[in-house]
Order: sequence, then structure tokens, then C-alpha cells
Amino acid sequence: MSNTTEKALSLLRYLPRVCLANIRDNPGAKKKSRRGRAQHGGDYHGAGNKGSNQRQNFMRIGYETGNNPFYLRFPHEPYYKGHHLKRQYPPLSLLDLQKLIDTNRIDTSRPIDLVTILNTGLYKLFPDQHHFGVQLTDEGADIFAAKINLEVQWASEQVIAAVEKAGGVITTAYYDPHSLQAMVNTKSFFERGIPIPRRMMPPPDAIEYYSNPGNRGYLSDPEKISEERLVLAQKYGYTLPKLDSRILEMLNETKDPRQIFYGLHPGWVVNLKDKVILKPLEEELKEFYAL
Amino acid sequence: MALRHKLFQILHPILTNRCTYSIRHFCYKASPFVEDLDKLNTKYEVSKDPEEWKYVERALPLTIIPEPVAKETYPSGWKPQTNEVKNRPYFIERTKNHMIPVYLDISQRGVRRHTLIKRIQGDINLFEKELVKFLQKESFQPIRSQVNEFAGYIRINGDFVNATKYFLEKKNL
Repeated sequence: MSNTTEKALSLLRYLPRVCLANIRDNPGAKKKSRRGRAQHGGDYHGAGNKGSNQRQNFMRIGYETGNNPFYLRFPHEPYYKGHHLKRQYPPLSLLDLQKLIDTNRIDTSRPIDLVTILNTGLYKLFPDQHHFGVQLTDEGADIFAAKINLEVQWASEQVIAAVEKAGGVITTAYYDPHSLQAMVNTKSFFERGIPIPRRMMPPPDAIEYYSNPGNRGYLSDPEKISEERLVLAQKYGYTLPKLDSRILEMLNETKDPRQIFYGLHPGWVVNLKDKVILKPLEEELKEFYAL
Repeated sequence: MALRHKLFQILHPILTNRCTYSIRHFCYKASPFVEDLDKLNTKYEVSKDPEEWKYVERALPLTIIPEPVAKETYPSGWKPQTNEVKNRPYFIERTKNHMIPVYLDISQRGVRRHTLIKRIQGDINLFEKELVKFLQKESFQPIRSQVNEFAGYIRINGDFVNATKYFLEKKNL
């Protein structure tokens, strides 16, 4: 007998029992099948063999092989029809605005417009997502106490009352997406070296809002606005404070309906490196960028 | 870039004679640079008026977050941090935006709510003891809290953000 067999037999003597748990096949007794590729050994991944299941040619969602489909069976009102095309005005509350003023993030000695609010870095606007500016909401209307010259894109009657009660001035103004893109990041806009765009007039469905003195629209008659200020004061029961004579110049500062930035004419190119402003002299350009 | 473009213009005929080399018109590199075009004939005027430049500076954002100025009243309810920080056992630093660093941490699909107090300096255990004692009045169950002394934060089970902010404001922190 060979040495190996002797060893195996002597081992057998000491082993308590030979069972399925401690024996194994002879080497080379089992032949491995082909190694299938992919996750489950190269099978059909649950899709089966032949037919529409294997080819995965599913019907479109909701299709019921000729039946009147469930999603069309009942009449409905399309409440949200066209929601993706509507103008969005992300909100900013009066409380937020007051907090920005209290923490010295906004300088009240100058008119506050969308550029000022965006420059704080605490309010985000995405013109490519149909954002058209800031909507001032009435949260914190009771505590609001800042004499400011404010320009927002949308404001409710309560908000207008709160700002005017505190001794301020509010205007609602429209900016087209190209202008908004210039306002979102003014530094990067000036660095692009392109002329400041001419602000467009509001679209037909927004003209009414922005020419209504009740909304303090920027296209409405200033005399009618001062009339409406008194009307609103009577409606909400407060005495309209006289505009502070020390800051009257700031409160009366306005932008042209074609202007984006205070004091900067459309068509100008700002050179931040050399700290100069380039102004067009061509008649054609002057006409194109006219206020 | 301009140099490379000039090099391209010089080399282009040489290369095209030797081998089949084509201009990739779909590539932006194929079009000439503005500086390589003829001189601009558009008339313009250069203004260095400092009064006009003031309006440019007004439109530009500040590069740093401004320090809050002392005012008589703060209508929004926000308070600046006190200057008397000496001889205090603990201190909670304000964030860069001058706010109290107390946050609500919502996790597990809105189920778990933790109050997180960050930027704690000094005796963090004493602060935790006092805070839990204050919060315990409002809670029926015993408050569970975790102190991370090394990172300087405290994690409390439950939403106590406003209560914690109130506690800190009362302590003038």
C-alpha cells in the first residue's frame, strides 16, 4: 500500500464518522459547464424566450389594447394647464427684507431694486426657470418699519400698505429675461464686455398689471399713484406719513422703463479693468438703445 | 490664442498641400478671433466720469459680508451678538451671516428630527446641562442629547430650534 493510502486509512480511524459534510469529489470528477457572461450566468434576465417579452416591445403607458383608456375615460378640468409657461415670482417676505436691513445687508440710503436684493447673495433667481423677479409677501407686514424706495416685480395690496405706512415708496416693475440675466450676476455680466441691454416692455398679459396705479405699476401715471396712496391709507386706516424731507431725493429716484441699472444707459459697455464706460456714438446704435 | 490662430493660418496651406487636411467648420476654433478681424470701425466714446462710475459700483455686489451696525431697535427680532464675552463659561459664535448656529436636522424621510447646536466654545457640558434643564420644562419625555466636545456641537433629539434660540438670546449669546 502506498504511503498516501496508509495516511488516509489512519485518518479514517480517528475520524468520528464519514458523512456528506466531510467528503468531497475526486479531483477532476466534475466538469464545469461554460462560463456564461453577465450578471446571472448569461441567462435571459427574466425576460424569457421569444416573443414580445423577450423583445420588450411594450405598449405605451396607459394603452389598453383598443379599450377607451382609463386616463381618458373621465372628463376633467386642466387646472395646471400651461403651468410650465407661466411667469414665476419667487417670494421674499417683508420679514426677510427687514432682517436684511437690520443685519446691514441692504443699504437703505439708496433705492432698493432687484439688483440690490440679488447682491446680498441671500435671494436666488433663475431666469431660465421662468423666474421673472421678486414677489414681496406680507409675512412680517406688522413689524415692517423702514423708509425705503423699493422696486419689486410683484406685490399684494397689504404689502404696498405696509411699505407706505412705514413712510416708504414702492413700485412694481417688469424685467425681461435678458435683463434679468444681466442683473443676476452684475460682475460677470460686465466682465463679458457686452452692452447693457435695453429693457423690454412687459408682454401683453402683464401690461395691465404694470400700468395699474393700484399696483404701483411703473408704467402708470405718477399723479394717479399719489392719489392711490391716499385711497389705500384710508382703506387700511392709517395716516399716510409725509415723505421724509431728508431722504426725499432718494425716495424720488426713479429708473427709466427702458433702464436696468440706476444711472446706466442701455448700450453702454462697462470696462471693469480700466474703470471706464464705453458709450456708442453711431446714430444707428443710439436709436437702437434709445430710452 | 491669437498666436496659435496665426500659426494655424500660416501652417494651413503647407499642411493642405502635403496631406489631406480640412478645416473643421463645425468647430469654434475654425472661426477667426475678434482681434484678428479688421479694426473695429464702430465709433464710441470713452467716459472716465467718476459720477457715472459710482452707479457701476452701486450695481456691483460687495466682496465681503458687511458687519452689522448698532441700531436702537431691530424690528425683525434679530439681535447682534453681545460684545461682553469675557468671563463666560461657554460661548456660541455667530455664523458668517451673523445668525445663531442652531439648525433642524431632518432625516429618515422626515421622521427623525434633531436639533443641532454648532460652534460651541468653552464648557460644552455645562451648556448642555443648562440647556436640557431649560428644554425639559417643555417636554414630557426625558430629553436625549449627545455632546461632541471635539467638534463643539450638541445634538438633541426632537425639534427645539426656536426654544434653543430663545434660550441663547436670553443669555445674550
